[in-house]
Amino acid sequence: MAGNAPEKRRQRRFLPEGSSLHKLSAIVTLVVLIIAFSFTSPAFLSVNNGLTILLQTSVIGLLAIGMTMVIITGGIDLSVGSILALAGVIAGLTIKMGLPVLPAMGLGVLTGAACGFVNGMVIAKMRITPFVATLGMMLIARGIALQLTGAAPISRLGDAFGVLGNGALFRVVEMQANGFPKVIFPGIPYPAILLLVMAVLGWYLLQKRQIGRHIFSVGSNEEAARLSGVNVDRTKIWAYTASGALAGLAGMVLMSRLVTVQPNEGVMYELDAIAASVIGGASLMGGVGSISGSMIGAFIIGVLRNGLNMAGTSAFIQMIIIGIVVIAAVYIDQIRNKN
Amino acid sequence: MLDSVQTSQPLVQMDKIVKTFGGIHAVEGVSADLYPGEVVGVLGHNGAGKSCLMRILSGAMRANSGEIRVNGQPVDMKSPQDAREFGIETIYQTLALANHLDAPANLFMGRELKTRFGNLDERRMLSEATVALRQLNPNFKNLRDPVARLSGGQRQVIAIARAIYFQAKILIMDEPTAALGPSETAMVADLIMRLKNDGIGIFLISHDMHDVFELCDRVMVMNKGRNVGAFRIEEVNKDDILSLIVKGTLPDGWKPRGGTS
Repeated sequence: MAGNAPEKRRQRRFLPEGSSLHKLSAIVTLVVLIIAFSFTSPAFLSVNNGLTILLQTSVIGLLAIGMTMVIITGGIDLSVGSILALAGVIAGLTIKMGLPVLPAMGLGVLTGAACGFVNGMVIAKMRITPFVATLGMMLIARGIALQLTGAAPISRLGDAFGVLGNGALFRVVEMQANGFPKVIFPGIPYPAILLLVMAVLGWYLLQKRQIGRHIFSVGSNEEAARLSGVNVDRTKIWAYTASGALAGLAGMVLMSRLVTVQPNEGVMYELDAIAASVIGGASLMGGVGSISGSMIGAFIIGVLRNGLNMAGTSAFIQMIIIGIVVIAAVYIDQIRNKN
Repeated sequence: MLDSVQTSQPLVQMDKIVKTFGGIHAVEGVSADLYPGEVVGVLGHNGAGKSCLMRILSGAMRANSGEIRVNGQPVDMKSPQDAREFGIETIYQTLALANHLDAPANLFMGRELKTRFGNLDERRMLSEATVALRQLNPNFKNLRDPVARLSGGQRQVIAIARAIYFQAKILIMDEPTAALGPSETAMVADLIMRLKNDGIGIFLISHDMHDVFELCDRVMVMNKGRNVGAFRIEEVNKDDILSLIVKGTLPDGWKPRGGTS
């Protein structure tokens, strides 16, 4: 028995520690899910379905990047689903007023950033807890979106509006003799490229820039960060603004994919984004989290949703399953922290 | 020798500092000063106002009235950052460390080193931190571990290194040895003497009478927000100080001790 202890210690050193362990277990979960679903529905493991998952995940993924930053500061952003809708509405309305698509979409992203900035100001300057502040914004943004549109969708926005959500890079289409196009290579969808670019940017800001270090400091020990000369208010405002802007961007992708602006789109998306971050190892207590982990988390949610759909599981059962997955992920995180 | 210290310009003068919270007077018109190469002990009960006074000097809190002069110049400190610009560094009792970050990240928190392109210069921060920490504790290892996993002594070393790395002129130490074992306490005492010889002025908040008599040149005692006595350390003994801390007055019939007046 006595010889057992050093043995154990040596064994443990070969196991990856802390966050990398969590990430590894998340990847294993993802792989297990993919294997399981490819048995339950034969169409799951096809290129087209892969692309569908990529498209579906890109919206959650964009939200999760911002959410991760906010969660690392020790906060939470419940307003991203509503901000997504409001940003879409603003873009749609300005296009209807005659603005070209690109500036209109820019305005949409800016609307998201503005909402996020207000979140940050309310949290940092008025000292309202993030939960309450962003819950308020969730209602305010949704209310504005519904009021501006009279709760009716905005359609006929033109083909250009649909490019971001439906276009793809390197798509090869061949005209057949019968006059119908045949897709030889579906290409890489723009939303997936956008997600990759934003994820890399988010990783860079969090890991390599001062603002990222400050985000971690504030989440780890806010008082210590303040005493050490970190501008805590500015850091928080920055994080919520980034989250808002990314929600606006996600709104552009989603509305563009539908080629219609739906003011009641994106309800409960914040929960998917929070789930993605938490599954990816972010701690709701702050100070811990990573973009790569959250991306894996987003794909777990995306694959789970898609696979359950393909297997014919009802939307209600899906809610139950995802709820259980989130609780399980937090529980595993707690066990990890105790060790 | 002592006189020459006294005649040079004070590093810090705090003049009639007042701080109130609602109706509570935490600090009532307290004045204090600190000269280069001097250790001044700040004593008092919990809630006597000593931490409050020091937080005002470190920029973590703003006084309602009163003036602070650094090197004779009146200064207005709105934040800890302002205080640092005047060379005032503070080692907090809580150490003020971010537990999830490693030692270099904590050492440079709020003052991160950056490369030419504005990225964090991790390599330089690590090498600088290694030098700074090994100076205080040659056995310092695990620099890349989150500081939550380090021992109390190592955490204290990081907090101290953070203050002295940036060339503090004025150091505020809040109970620096409260959480330490005997050998680590001796290390901190050693360090205080070294810093003092370098001409740094130190305000030392402590409850440990042994430390106070060993390290301080002067003491000031606070009671209920007032400065109830400031003495050269030779003029008082342990009982006098305890009487000041508890009652706020000196024992009856007190005369300066030591006889070198």
